[in-house]
Order: sequence, then structure tokens, then C-alpha cells
Amino acid sequence: MPKAVKGVLVECDESIRAIILKIDAVNHDFIIEDLDDRTLVVKETKLPELKRRLEEELRDTQDEPKDSGSERD
Amino acid sequence: VVDQIRLWQIEGERMKPTVGYLFKDFASGQEYEGICKYAEEVGVLVWKNDAKRMFFVTRVEQVKKFLENKAKSAAAGANGG
Repeated sequence: MPKAVKGVLVECDESIRAIILKIDAVNHDFIIEDLDDRTLVVKETKLPELKRRLEEELRDTQDEPKDSGSERD
Repeated sequence: VVDQIRLWQIEGERMKPTVGYLFKDFASGQEYEGICKYAEEVGVLVWKNDAKRMFFVTRVEQVKKFLENKAKSAAAGANGG
């Protein structure tokens, strides 16, 4: 019998996926399944937080081209 | 305002979220094919990967019914009718 897992299919470009993987790497609590280089399944309850974190990451990389030395939580 | 625009950009162009169900752990390629085909026919399939034997659907009810019926008929077959 196959398994059915509830979640959100996220179709995105590779750079967005890379950022999502980076965000998930901290606590591994966003991604349910990493499907391919443009597709992921994430937890539905975590989607708003993921979007917010993604937004922060994009803002950091675009607005302040500072070198990575200041990691913050 | 710029932030707002960027939010829209993420959701609209760079990232497309679809709520639904991921099906995985199929016993065989044949089982996967049959159920995936059914999901496509009833119009709920949004993504699939034959090599991984996984697919994603927007609605689960019909597919679950299909699986139940399949299990029932298999059991009935095993019991000789």
C-alpha cells in the first residue's frame, strides 16, 4: 500500500530551491521530500514561515552584498 | 513597498506552491502506473516522477477510494469471489 503525505508542492527555480535547502538544513523541519532540482514538498504549516525566511534571505543577498561572516539566528 | 513587490515576485514567478498529497512507497512499478494513471484521468495529478515512483495530487479522496476498491477486489479475488 502506498503512503499519502499531506504537504505543499513547491515548484521553483534552482536558486530558490538552494535557499530553501539552506533554510531547512538548520533544523530539518520544513522539507518533507526533496523531489528534483526544481521541486520540493514542504510542510503546509511551515509554508508562511518558509516564505518569510526566503524573503529575508533574498533581501540579504540583494540589498547588502556583504561577505558572509555575520551568521545570525 | 519594494519588499511587497518582491513577495509577489517570489510567489508569482519564482515559487509556485500547491497544497495536496504526495504519494510514495509503491510496492511495484505496476501499482504506481495504475494509480498514477487514475489520478491523471480524474484531473488531480500535478507532478509525477516515474523513476522515483512518486506523484503529487491536489485532492486525495478519489485516489483513496480507488485504492480501497483495488484492495477489496484483490481480497475478493483471493477468497475466490
